[in-house]
Amino acid sequence: MLPIEVIKRLMSSQIQALKGEGKFNGFLKGTLAVMPLTIAVIPWGILAGSFALDAGLSPFESQAMSAIIFAGSAQLVALGMIKAGIGLTSILITTLLITSRHFLYGMAMRPQISPLPLKWRLVLGFLLTDELFAIANQGKQHKLDPWYAFGGGFSFYLGWNLATAAGIIAGQTIPNLDSWGLDFAIAATFIAIVVPSVKKPSMLFCVLVSLVGAVVCELLAIPAGLLIAALLGMTSGTLYAKLTGEKT
Amino acid sequence: MIWLTILAMAAVVFASRYLFLEPRLPVRLSKNTLAFLSYSAPAVLTAIFAPIVFIREDQLDLSLDNSYLICAILAAFLAYTTRSVLLTTVLSMGLFFVIH
Repeated sequence: MLPIEVIKRLMSSQIQALKGEGKFNGFLKGTLAVMPLTIAVIPWGILAGSFALDAGLSPFESQAMSAIIFAGSAQLVALGMIKAGIGLTSILITTLLITSRHFLYGMAMRPQISPLPLKWRLVLGFLLTDELFAIANQGKQHKLDPWYAFGGGFSFYLGWNLATAAGIIAGQTIPNLDSWGLDFAIAATFIAIVVPSVKKPSMLFCVLVSLVGAVVCELLAIPAGLLIAALLGMTSGTLYAKLTGEKT
Repeated sequence: MIWLTILAMAAVVFASRYLFLEPRLPVRLSKNTLAFLSYSAPAVLTAIFAPIVFIREDQLDLSLDNSYLICAILAAFLAYTTRSVLLTTVLSMGLFFVIH
């Protein structure tokens, strides 16, 4: 073998190694970036696991819900509806409303993710939660490292499913788990995401209308109150912006 | 029925996440639709957490005995001043598990 060939081979193996390291570094960075949210989702996952048993699901079905759907808020709201004996159509309409914010996340991530190969699009699409969006959405100019997004999304997926498993076990062994107030983790996470997003008066108005609407609907035990409150909030915000001529 | 619910929900959730990542989808959403959708995340997330914070035992509870409310106010204050998800979630959840 010519020396030049040897050097070429060495160099290409070096580049391969560097590429591998780049993947690992990206994965690790994503894992670390999402870590606070992965920690915050633990009580929430425990709640999802134990509440699923409470709603009448088997342990296997409870775990499958987190593994296949992978949408905390939609799962918890749906479980409440299953427990209340509400039909599939209402559950799916409510799911569509709760999940509708992901249309926007997809839209925002489109410039970075749509040019990637199909397997990346499917994987990152499946993993696109509020939490992944919070760490991966860094503007159109920024080039997204798919391994960074995968590290963030996959570690969060693992955390969510391990916490659900813990909840399924705890739900069968620890009495009065519902008195622990695990649902505060949901409030804490959503407050941490919502408050910084309120950057204009119309958004504040939207959030306040949605807040009051949701509380009133819940007090009056109106079915699909979440749907009504969220749509009221969105409409109010939009109208407020139109009427005051607010810049977008 | 449970399995049908799980699979149908998974389909709805995945479709909403994947739809706009598909390059062959010609994106033509009007400015008005986009403006309306820009309120969806805060509106939906707020509608989910508000009853958890304000309602205890099916009653509106605005008293200082409501540890959910106290800690939610702390979380909102921390989120507003620090903009840090870590500080907001860890400190407010920490206080919650101490006083609850």
